Amino acid sequence: MGKRFITSVAVVFALLLCGQPVVAADTVRVGLMAPLTGAWASEGQDMKQIVELLAEELNNQGGLLGKQIEIIAEDDGGDPKTASLAAQRLANSDVVAVIGTYGSSITEASQAIYDEAKILQVANGSTAIRLSEKGLKYFLRTCPRDDEQGKVAAKTLMDMGFKKIAILHDNTSYAKGLADEAKGLLEKEPVEIVFYDALTPGERDYNTILTKIKAAGPDVVLFTGYYPEAGLLMRQKMEMGWNVPFLGGDATNNPDLVKIAGKQAAEGYYFLSPPVPQDLDSKAAKDFMSAFKQKYNAEPGSVWAVLAGDGFNVLAAAIKGSGSTDTEKMVAYLKTQLKDMPGLTGNISFDEKGDRVGDLYRVYRVDADGKFVLQP
Amino acid sequence: MKNKRWIVYAACAVVILISPAALNRYWTDVLNVIGLYVMLALSLNIILGHCGMFHMGHAAFYAVGAYTTAILNTAYGIPVLWLMPLSGLLAGLFALVIARPIIHLRGDYLLIVTIGFVEIVRIALINNIFGITGGANGIFGIDRPTIFGMKISTPGQFFYLIWFFVAVTIYLFRKLEHSRFGRALNYIREDDVAAAGSGIDTGHYKLIAFVIGAVWAGFCGTLFAAKMTIIAPESFNFWESVLLFMIVLLGGRGSIAGVILGTFLVIGLPEIFRQFATARMLVFGVVMVAMMIFRPEGILPPPPRTYRLDGDTGPEEAA
Amino acid sequence: MEFFFQQLTNGLAVGGIYALIALGYTMVYGVLKLINFAHGDLFMIGAYLGLTLLTALGLADHLSPFGVIALLAVMVLALVAILGVVLERVAYRPLRQAHRLSAVVSALGASIFFQNIVMLIYGAKFHVYPHDLMPRTVVHIFGMPVPLIRILILLASVVMMVGLYTFIQRTKVGTAIRAAAIDQGAARLMGINVDRVIALVFVIGPALGGVAGLMVGIYYGQINFTMGWIYGLKAFTAAILGGIGNIPGAMVGGLLLGLIEAFAAAYLSIAWKDAFAFCVLILILIVRPTGLLGERVAEKV
Repeated sequence: MGKRFITSVAVVFALLLCGQPVVAADTVRVGLMAPLTGAWASEGQDMKQIVELLAEELNNQGGLLGKQIEIIAEDDGGDPKTASLAAQRLANSDVVAVIGTYGSSITEASQAIYDEAKILQVANGSTAIRLSEKGLKYFLRTCPRDDEQGKVAAKTLMDMGFKKIAILHDNTSYAKGLADEAKGLLEKEPVEIVFYDALTPGERDYNTILTKIKAAGPDVVLFTGYYPEAGLLMRQKMEMGWNVPFLGGDATNNPDLVKIAGKQAAEGYYFLSPPVPQDLDSKAAKDFMSAFKQKYNAEPGSVWAVLAGDGFNVLAAAIKGSGSTDTEKMVAYLKTQLKDMPGLTGNISFDEKGDRVGDLYRVYRVDADGKFVLQP
Repeated sequence: MKNKRWIVYAACAVVILISPAALNRYWTDVLNVIGLYVMLALSLNIILGHCGMFHMGHAAFYAVGAYTTAILNTAYGIPVLWLMPLSGLLAGLFALVIARPIIHLRGDYLLIVTIGFVEIVRIALINNIFGITGGANGIFGIDRPTIFGMKISTPGQFFYLIWFFVAVTIYLFRKLEHSRFGRALNYIREDDVAAAGSGIDTGHYKLIAFVIGAVWAGFCGTLFAAKMTIIAPESFNFWESVLLFMIVLLGGRGSIAGVILGTFLVIGLPEIFRQFATARMLVFGVVMVAMMIFRPEGILPPPPRTYRLDGDTGPEEAA
Repeated sequence: MEFFFQQLTNGLAVGGIYALIALGYTMVYGVLKLINFAHGDLFMIGAYLGLTLLTALGLADHLSPFGVIALLAVMVLALVAILGVVLERVAYRPLRQAHRLSAVVSALGASIFFQNIVMLIYGAKFHVYPHDLMPRTVVHIFGMPVPLIRILILLASVVMMVGLYTFIQRTKVGTAIRAAAIDQGAARLMGINVDRVIALVFVIGPALGGVAGLMVGIYYGQINFTMGWIYGLKAFTAAILGGIGNIPGAMVGGLLLGLIEAFAAAYLSIAWKDAFAFCVLILILIVRPTGLLGERVAEKV
């Protein structure tokens, strides 16, 4: 017994010790925190692809401050506990800044760690309002906030002239936040909210819910959840023979939406989103599109991953612009000097809180070929 | 043999105690998470390991503790550590209420009912029950704990706070294990009909075991809330319960040293496998299966209870 | 009233799939007393294999829709069955003499392994079955439109359940399975090769799960590597609700769970429906501690 016990303990400690990070050569190290495993692995893997592509391109042009850039990717697993460990790990790997992550509560679990370690964090898919309301100095994000999108959603619905509105979310903090924002604004307007409830993400059959919404008789359904569910809703709605327009939030901006729903069912689906590089005329966007296609032989997926790419771009601009990798200088540069930098999702500037400024949202509609068409 | 074992224990304790000096913040924080899970797993060990009740919903009690702390701290500013007893108490009360009608269910039926409870709790938290849990956002801005005016915020400081409680837990649960109560639980685990036949009120004992485990999980909830400063329903999902379940079985049911070692593996291995990036959980799955095949009773199953014949007092542990 | 019947068919459609997966749970449990937590993942693999075969072989070009589905079903059945036998051989057989819960942990490990290997092979993105695989025929029952495929799914579950039940009750092999379920030692003494019986159970259970995966893929279209976990938990709940180890029980439990969810969502709250389903489960177990159709047996002492 004794011997076996000692061996077991020794093995465990040996295992624990062999994972120490190695401090590498003279490079500019940029951290990327992304959900590489878990339920949001698809987003995280896209983020990694895009950021690595941009870093590679910049390295081919000579890197930054005469040094090569090294991307240190850490998996946050899409859950707060793993994220806080990933953040500690990045904080210890001599990174000059961190990009990420996807999911507001995941980002929130890492914010304090980066703040204490004085590391600049540029989040890409974390839209909860409160993240930038805490007065954290080193936190910025390339994505817009829920209140912004809620405003646009309510305005779009009003402009389209709908009177009876159903709101469906999925009880994730992002979707609920957006649904609540929109609901609050719509209640002040002369419209009726006939339905407000949440589906359970990850299921396959939403017929029950659609039947219930149909019974409430709305003119339009505002769905604030994510694309896998939106695709299924569209498909099952068509199978029911129900012809109600849907307006989705920016989490449904993913080509897989059409794949899941089918072109026929997806046609006529409206959603809000920051513009994707496919729709931008800027040189940055065009170069990126061709490089991405060349390297991965596909179109970039979700807009959130593209926003991580923008996170990388603003970091590169900050290092170049401030001529240093000092956190204070980079932050100061981004918040005060960076104005209308052409990014992958339009022009980028930040306000004092670290939020992205400007009207970002556009209305898209899915056409009969399953293409996302920017609405005028 | 027996002394040798103690030397190893002492050596481990010393290694753990001085480790923050040698480790960076990341590995210190990994040890903090491990410490929290050690406490949680030890509390589950009372229910699952000692009493043999298939309980796969421990995260529910953990959640009650964490939310009690978070709500009272953010709403009334009560210091978090003061809330620890209350969190444990409420978690225990909750366990008492829900366990009473289901305690007689056998094996797998109890398993699904406990899974049911943890899911109900999670859904209730997400739906912002009573308007106090903050829905899917959870609760944020929980204060850091302070001890004698010192604010605990770095991983190194948390390390000593958490492992202090781990040490207390180990000490108390060791006492419990060797008490009359602990022996009764083991009897119930091995054969509850015979236990009842020997005059043990099995229902009563099972209920007490359940409540003790829950109270302790509630305490852990306080520490977790203090450490994370934000809690959300997703931290208390079914998968957390499964992890704890696996820790106890992998370590060795009813063995404190085993459960601690099991925690190091189940929580530590995915961190070590980070170098495999996307494949890290795959490797983890394989290791789980392999461990069970090579050590089906866990890595360190408890030694059999033995008693001296020469009229000495009390039970003695064999080495 | 139309709303009620519409929700009734919605519930039955979901319940039919739960029932089909629950059959596999119950089969394995009946003989081994093992909760095979990897069963949901075998279901998920069935869905992925079906899609791979469909696109790789280009079946849809040569055969009628039902021919395609029948052929796919046979192939998926065979492949997932092989996987099931391998799983039993590698992860469960070495643990047969060990404590029951050791095998449960092994099953959880296998579940993590399956999920992640599928993620590595197929990628983390959602995969989608072709949309025109099945004709989208709608039949009218009492004036209510019901998609044909729903009726087929429900029918398939019932047919499989009845077939399985007859097989277990009426054939010689079935008798051997029942004998092994009651007492493996005694069965062995009666000349039954218990290892073969268990292997057979691991052919049937996973095969049913795999076919269920295929059906979900064809019906709903969208599949991903985490789907097994959610369906697995629901099916396990259904199996317990009906009385685990009992074949008609799995069917009843599955359909009932589907109906409870549908009606809870329809008349109470959608967001709370799962919590409500678990409440009903707990209440039923308090009244009937071994599920609806489970027999009252004393734990072996």
